[in-house]
Amino acid sequence: MLILLVAAITFASRLAGALIMSRVPFSVTVERFLDGLSVSVIAALVASLVAHGDIRMAVSVAAASLIMLGSKSAVLAMLTGMSFAAAWSIWISSQPI
Amino acid sequence: MVREEESEAATNGPKTVLTAPGIWRGITRLLPIAAFSIPFGIAFGIAAIEAGLDPWQVILMSAMTSSGSAQFAALDFTGAPIAYGSVAFVVLALNARHVIMGAALSFWINSLPPLKRISTLALLSDANFADSQPAFREGERDVGILLGGGFSLWLAWLLGTIIGVAGGAFVGDPERYGIDVVMVCFFATVVIGQFRKNRALALPILAASLVSVATMSFLPDGWNVILGAVAGGFIAVPIRAN
Repeated sequence: MLILLVAAITFASRLAGALIMSRVPFSVTVERFLDGLSVSVIAALVASLVAHGDIRMAVSVAAASLIMLGSKSAVLAMLTGMSFAAAWSIWISSQPI
Repeated sequence: MVREEESEAATNGPKTVLTAPGIWRGITRLLPIAAFSIPFGIAFGIAAIEAGLDPWQVILMSAMTSSGSAQFAALDFTGAPIAYGSVAFVVLALNARHVIMGAALSFWINSLPPLKRISTLALLSDANFADSQPAFREGERDVGILLGGGFSLWLAWLLGTIIGVAGGAFVGDPERYGIDVVMVCFFATVVIGQFRKNRALALPILAASLVSVATMSFLPDGWNVILGAVAGGFIAVPIRAN
């Protein structure tokens, strides 16, 4: 029952946005709002995850962001972020297993 | 005010298609990133068994839900009398960002026939949204990349869960390899990539980040992200796109 409830709510949330928008006529205002919304929802997610995380995560994400800003290579940026995080775990905070 | 929404919607967005090659492209695009979520699927499988669920229940849950944050949160409620109202509220909060993503994709999704639309949206997650939405903006017209990307994420999560349930041959600590930051770094690169193409997005991005962090302490998890996103959306309205 719990499983069905979680699945049903998640499924409904995935369908709801497009369904709501099928009743809203598109206009320049709506388009700009949705455009802003698209990048904002991911930005808000990143900010929230980093704020919930520790310094290690903040440093890794900052490093990845700077590389992306300078190089435009997402792969290089993500590898940099991972390397910072791994290096931090190994040398700065010793992780109990 | 009853109108024919179906035909209205169909004429609004650009014509999009859903093809097998598109789905395959989506699968391969996101497979490398999805692979990094396997350790978290394993962690979920282990945690769910520890919380007292049967193996088939855990696997069914991952197969039907495929939402890490919602599933982990649901585990807190597996104790004897289940507070269904509380579960519903928490899961709704953690999933509300799907509503925003669905709305943002509606421009390209809503011109598809209902069955294709529903099957694509059923696999909507953060990562395939972050990957596909910018692509659609740049002229991609095959919604298959969204569905295929979602399939990769679904498969990796399910696979991880099964490994975790099967006894969790847990290969070390994901933090040691930096695997735990891959997703958030990926999202950061998407945001920066968008910003590089359109500097005017700096304001919505900043607003969204600030609002979500500033409201984090008093809003339940999930709602702060929604509030941040909506703030960013409103700020973007008067800004002219390049």
